[in-house]
Amino acid sequence: MLDGLKDVVRKSSIHVCLINTGGCNGCDIEVVALLSPRYDLEQYGIYVHNNPREADVLLITGAVTEQWKKNLQRIYAKAPEPKVVVTIGNCPLTGDVFNQEGCSVYAPVSDFIPVDAEIPGCPPRPSEILAAILAVGPDAIAAKGRQKP
Amino acid sequence: MILPIGPIHPALKEPVRLKLKTQGEKVISAEIDYGYVHRGIERVMEGKTWQKAIFLSERVCGICSYIHTQTFAETFEKMAGEKVPLRAQYLRSLTNELDRIQSHFIANSTYFKALEHETLFMYMLHLREPVMDAIELLTGNRVNMGWNVVGGVRMDAKEKHLNSIYQIITHLESEYDKYVQMFDQGPLVGLRSKDVGKMSNEDAIKGRAVGPIGRASGIKHDVREDHHTYQDEFDWKVIWRKEGDNYARTMNRFDEITESIKIIKQVIENIPPGEVRKKIDIPAGYEEWRNEAPRGEVSYYIESNGNLIKNISIRTPSIMNIDVCGKYMLKDVATVADAVATYASVDPCVACTERVVILNEKGEKREFDGLHKVKYLK
Repeated sequence: MLDGLKDVVRKSSIHVCLINTGGCNGCDIEVVALLSPRYDLEQYGIYVHNNPREADVLLITGAVTEQWKKNLQRIYAKAPEPKVVVTIGNCPLTGDVFNQEGCSVYAPVSDFIPVDAEIPGCPPRPSEILAAILAVGPDAIAAKGRQKP
Repeated sequence: MILPIGPIHPALKEPVRLKLKTQGEKVISAEIDYGYVHRGIERVMEGKTWQKAIFLSERVCGICSYIHTQTFAETFEKMAGEKVPLRAQYLRSLTNELDRIQSHFIANSTYFKALEHETLFMYMLHLREPVMDAIELLTGNRVNMGWNVVGGVRMDAKEKHLNSIYQIITHLESEYDKYVQMFDQGPLVGLRSKDVGKMSNEDAIKGRAVGPIGRASGIKHDVREDHHTYQDEFDWKVIWRKEGDNYARTMNRFDEITESIKIIKQVIENIPPGEVRKKIDIPAGYEEWRNEAPRGEVSYYIESNGNLIKNISIRTPSIMNIDVCGKYMLKDVATVADAVATYASVDPCVACTERVVILNEKGEKREFDGLHKVKYLK
């Protein structure tokens, strides 16, 4: 019964932390656009506040730069269980245009931390980001929460 | 006491580290560290043709992605000594002003978010969405548009799309004043904004502040004044103020949106028919070109051997603006909350700034590579 109650609570209040690991900012402003009244992220119980210590979903935009190689794992460790990682855009997937000889990026993100969902696009539309968070977020958080350590 | 903020923090949208030296609640001085999103774009551009490099230049910054491609293309056009067809010039100005409007809206909304004024934050984002629709209607994409090529723009705009953009802009103009009044005459917002984070005219000149930040401190300088299209074709004026506080910076951006709306209306009313693209042969040479991005002056220095880019250097406005913010504005601020709001009022774009060449006292070039490592170049 306790698990069922926890599932309901976890599904209906999702806190999101946005981490730019070396992108161009384009995906970040599409996440900000999600907050606008047209898309209204908060009607689904999702709250973007950029605090890894209370995050359920880590949104990662950008290929991993030199500075983020260690810090990304540190931030991932700081987020409490259960947690879900969603990457936005082509950069965390493949490095996009930056993944060329001479560029200091180390894509993909999945080399560093486990990733649950990936959204391609440069940048993806806000509705796609919203759909991905809703598709993977609530159920995965609830399922991960039920796993015994 | 040193109070570190960032790199991931509720108040910040991008990774940057603020170190505030505080005495009780008062902020005495500040230091800003960046280097978290250094990707080395310029190094990758070297040895590539413009057809490949223009996509990289677009991804220098996501918020003002448009102006980077325009400046990149215009540098090559100046190298060849040619101008693009007049219709292409008009279409470029149209997209540039639409991009400026959406960038200013997001800058002001971030400032209101830092003030915890959620209502105006939502209103600003609500006004921004139709402008994003207009950009999408014209170019086919919301953020990274891929609209410019050397010699013009990629495709012609249809008459019905221009009419729709005109309607969107007219509607925005009729709604817009109401929200500006809310900021201008709201007593609480005014209290949090006026006389906070002041920068004097001398400091702004000393720190080389550019764009709305410099103009809010009394530097009447807009690179659009030197641009041939804006000089010859449109009737507009440079917005500037004298106060130099958070209120002036935000209000300056609001007034620039009004000016941009004026330019967009002139573009759509007077746009001439004709070609939008012409063939340009690029000679070998070195050229530089400046343009007014939403945040200030962006300059490109390109050396080409006629086919490939030999050397390229990009200077974006945020590097100067973040610097003057740390040096002059975050000095003797009353509270930490005001310091965060002041940082947001500068409209910092960290992704832009991560390419810096530092000279040491002997004049040797050092490459900025990451936060603490500095490599010496010969």
